[in-house]
Amino acid sequence: MSILRPFRATDLFRFNNINLDIWTETYGITFYFSYLSRWPDLCCVQEAQDGKLMGYILGKAEGLGTEWHGHVTAVTVAPEYRRLGIGKKLIDLLEFVSDEKYKGYFVDLYVRCTNEVAIKMYENFGYSVFRRVREYYGSLGMGRDSKDEEDAFDMRKPLSRDPGRRSVRSNGREIIVGVHDVS
Amino acid sequence: MSSTLDRQIRPIYDALETGSNKSAVLACNKVLKKQPNNVLVKALKALALVKLQKVEESLVLCDEVLASKPVDDGVLTAMMHVLRGLGRHNDMIAMFENAYKQQPTSEELGQQTFLANVRVGNWKSAQQIATKMNKQLREDRFLYWSVFSTLLQANDPSTPPELQPVLLKLAQRLIETTSVPSYSSPDRLYVHILVLRELKLYDEALALLTTEIGQAICETSLVCEELRRDLIHLKGLIKEEGDRAEQRIVEKKDRNWLEFISLLDAALWDVTSVPEPSDEAKAAAKERIKHTQEVLAKVAEEDGLKDRSAALASLDLEKRARAQDVSTDPSLARTLAENYFSKFSSKACCYEDLQPYVLFEGDELAKWTSFLESQRSFETLADLQRGINVLKLLRWNLTTDELTPELELARAKDYVKEYLAALPFGKSLPDTELQPADDLALLAGETYVNLWKLTNDQSHLFSAASILEYASARSKQSYRIRLLLIRIYHLLGAPSLALEHYRLMNVKQVQTDTLSHLVLTRAATFSLSALGDITYLSECMDSSQIYMSNSQETSEFISRAFQMEKYSQIEDIIVFEDRLDNSLQRDLMKIEHVRMRLAHEQINADLVDMELIELKFIFDRLHHDNRDFSIIPNYQPHSIPSFNEQTLPFGKIPGIGWLTVFLKIYIKAFQLASDLVESVEDKLLIGDRPKPSNDPENKIPLNERLAKKKEEEMEELTPDELAFYEFASALSEWLAPYHDYARPPPSALLAEAAKQNELKPGHPLRNITPPPDATNGSSKKDEEPPTVKEAPEVVSKFFEEMRTRFKAVAEGSQEPTELLHLATLTQEAFLVFTIETVRFKPASVIKQNKLNGLTPAFKEVRTKAVEVLTEISNELIKIAEQSATREKRDAFIAASKDVQAESGFDHDFVLGVARKTTDAKKHVLEGVGKGIQKVLKNHA
Repeated sequence: MSILRPFRATDLFRFNNINLDIWTETYGITFYFSYLSRWPDLCCVQEAQDGKLMGYILGKAEGLGTEWHGHVTAVTVAPEYRRLGIGKKLIDLLEFVSDEKYKGYFVDLYVRCTNEVAIKMYENFGYSVFRRVREYYGSLGMGRDSKDEEDAFDMRKPLSRDPGRRSVRSNGREIIVGVHDVS
Repeated sequence: MSSTLDRQIRPIYDALETGSNKSAVLACNKVLKKQPNNVLVKALKALALVKLQKVEESLVLCDEVLASKPVDDGVLTAMMHVLRGLGRHNDMIAMFENAYKQQPTSEELGQQTFLANVRVGNWKSAQQIATKMNKQLREDRFLYWSVFSTLLQANDPSTPPELQPVLLKLAQRLIETTSVPSYSSPDRLYVHILVLRELKLYDEALALLTTEIGQAICETSLVCEELRRDLIHLKGLIKEEGDRAEQRIVEKKDRNWLEFISLLDAALWDVTSVPEPSDEAKAAAKERIKHTQEVLAKVAEEDGLKDRSAALASLDLEKRARAQDVSTDPSLARTLAENYFSKFSSKACCYEDLQPYVLFEGDELAKWTSFLESQRSFETLADLQRGINVLKLLRWNLTTDELTPELELARAKDYVKEYLAALPFGKSLPDTELQPADDLALLAGETYVNLWKLTNDQSHLFSAASILEYASARSKQSYRIRLLLIRIYHLLGAPSLALEHYRLMNVKQVQTDTLSHLVLTRAATFSLSALGDITYLSECMDSSQIYMSNSQETSEFISRAFQMEKYSQIEDIIVFEDRLDNSLQRDLMKIEHVRMRLAHEQINADLVDMELIELKFIFDRLHHDNRDFSIIPNYQPHSIPSFNEQTLPFGKIPGIGWLTVFLKIYIKAFQLASDLVESVEDKLLIGDRPKPSNDPENKIPLNERLAKKKEEEMEELTPDELAFYEFASALSEWLAPYHDYARPPPSALLAEAAKQNELKPGHPLRNITPPPDATNGSSKKDEEPPTVKEAPEVVSKFFEEMRTRFKAVAEGSQEPTELLHLATLTQEAFLVFTIETVRFKPASVIKQNKLNGLTPAFKEVRTKAVEVLTEISNELIKIAEQSATREKRDAFIAASKDVQAESGFDHDFVLGVARKTTDAKKHVLEGVGKGIQKVLKNHA
């Protein structure tokens, strides 16, 4: 049970239960507004019946030619609403709009190479690793025993405009690029 | 630009870009030496100076550049940043308008002028410019700019109501005359629908949305879809929408809760659409409800554990049916709740989901309770979440009869026991994860707090602190545990520990607006600013950063949304900007800052004048309360107040009324002490005056507003704050005539200001020419001085009464927050007295104004104040010494015995918490006590 609705500027007053969680970063106002003022249709929230926010997604559309795609910048769900498929619904919407409205070739997202739970989840959603980006995250994460924390996997999922699945590859984990090679 | 010049100017830009503002200034000076009239360089220097906070120097350059009426792009851009930094938006508009007038064919300048107006909400001018641009350039974008500005103008509270329909009609005509249809983009369609909705042309609006393109747009644009739902409601097409929802749920597998709401609305429409439904209507509703329940049951079965929408919708439907008296089965609600629990009890949100649906009574409640009890188990990790949900749901339905101290104590012990037993389940988790047993500790903590409420025995708060600290150490990322601890430490008089937990929550950016209330509410009570400890002062400053970013950055995105034609976002960003700019918490913090500052600094004209101007601005604002209290977990039964309500510091939360009272107190005090009268104030102002809100209250003369006492405002004060308010208002009423008589005339003041200005290089005050008759404030007065009266009783008795109040607490409960509250308010009264008497301190002022009687009257009040405050200070220090002794620690440990005995968690841990708590308490009591001595010394 959740309401899917647009992310509104005033939601910044109400997202504490999501953002106080350690894994969700709270950025300056300009970060959120730079998304809302350009890609409002790729930003939405899931709201519980009592008005509490459960999770949200912020995304954008970018790239040239066959690189034109939807990008998941942030997707997050409050701890008390995890394991309910909220994240999946948010990503579904972003994929749908990227496909139908923006006519992108694929959707992509970045995830820490050490975040196995998340990687597995995205694989279940149909994403696969396209490449590994060295030192994508400027800082080490919160995990305890991993030295590859700063690297990210760029994971992709082709959309209907890419029936030949040209935007993905099977050996993505072995393709390593520097952080300056990605947008 | 010649290449030599380019070579000279590039370093300036580079320096500015990298934030090396000092080198930017140097680079500018180098060029200006050779070309003193280079306007671009002047503008860039002004910008660097603004960034260096050298406002006065930059103002001179800024005015020079503006006087040259610039049209050059580089100059305009630099000046845009300068003027924004100085808050001079109206000058910015004037600058762009001027440039646009000189180059009326420039699209760029037209846009900039439009956007400058947008940033300050000048919708009328914005609309005129957009219309002009559209005529000139024939670009649809400008047409929509014009339409949307018209719409915003129509909705602006300052627009006369009779003008509204005219503006809306105009907007409609504009859209419908264009050749490009509005459905060329979702955001244009959005604007079109909005205009039609405002004009109540619902059919036309819906017609647009039901075209093929309209439907496709609603599929991918949630904002358009939201408008569609709104229109359906306005048209009353509830049943039709219900049918559509059913189809979407069943066929398209849409699980958006909004569809379920439509389905339920339709099921009950026969009985909810009329005030007194007939029997046929009821029968029809029952039929439709039955059908809907069947649909939902089928969907719920299909979805299984994947989605809880249908199962919850069943519960909601039965709840609504019952409210409308069309439910057919008295035990259906319970059966559905039990089914729901059986299915989703392994989810954390099961408790929140069920809360509204399980408010059973009598027999049904008994059955529900025994069902829950049968589900209780903590054997395995999988059981744990279910067990937690059982305990939470059982607690939720406890009646006041079941909330005796004995039963609550038994429950608290039970929660602690289960918590400790469940801890091993999370042992292997990394410390970045939340512990699965956390909520059991929260339940225990809240139960101990309820015990404190029931018995008034502080030892229960010790138990709460012990178990929660223990849990916090095991689940370092749990901000919810910290939230409880923050409240509990305030109640225990250990504010520094509360602040510690708050800081560990890493509250930042916009969260400081919604959450800083946790530690900054009445922070002056806990601040040791008098001793030079600026912890709370800087916490206020840090938490206020967000308001600066808001006023500097947010409006940029309003203009960016115009540029990107994302009209659907504009109103929300405007609302956001307004809510943050006029945030209640912002100004509550401001008041606390003023209160702490007064104890910390010397009281002089600079402080008085600056605060006066700022507080007066605040007084004209219409405030919004953005504070988030819902974040504080609540597991108390629905029959008693929530945890938040139980632990509110001083039992009352300051709101707009509280703010207004303190604004009145300080504006009045500063107004008396200050030489600034309004005519002078205007000339000393640098930025624009903020637009006062449209509150009719703002039209009443200031002094009348300040004197008004309102019941609803005073209700937000504690009894002691009320006494302080009475004291402050009687004081200013008593002293006003003498201040008005002795205040130097404005002419003398402006002459002095002008003189000061000539002495230092900087900004020549606007429009100031010293009046010829100025004679340095010592002009002979025509009137006789007002007769000096004795201090009114409220003033002369205040300190004595505070002594009595303080003594009662010191000899009674010794509740630390209460002691601090009384002590700091008494000190505050003394400081207000000092502010209002500082003018008469020099004997020459008394003599010149023939107010000799004042001196002994002041002396009497002051002597009493000093005497009482000295006594309070000594007493506080004494209590402080006693509060961190071994006996007190032992008492703490003894009190949390339950927690220890059951758990076996170690004595040393509790000792640690006890030591921290008693030390923190000692620190603040002693600090405030010594602070009073310092304040008395400062103002001897």
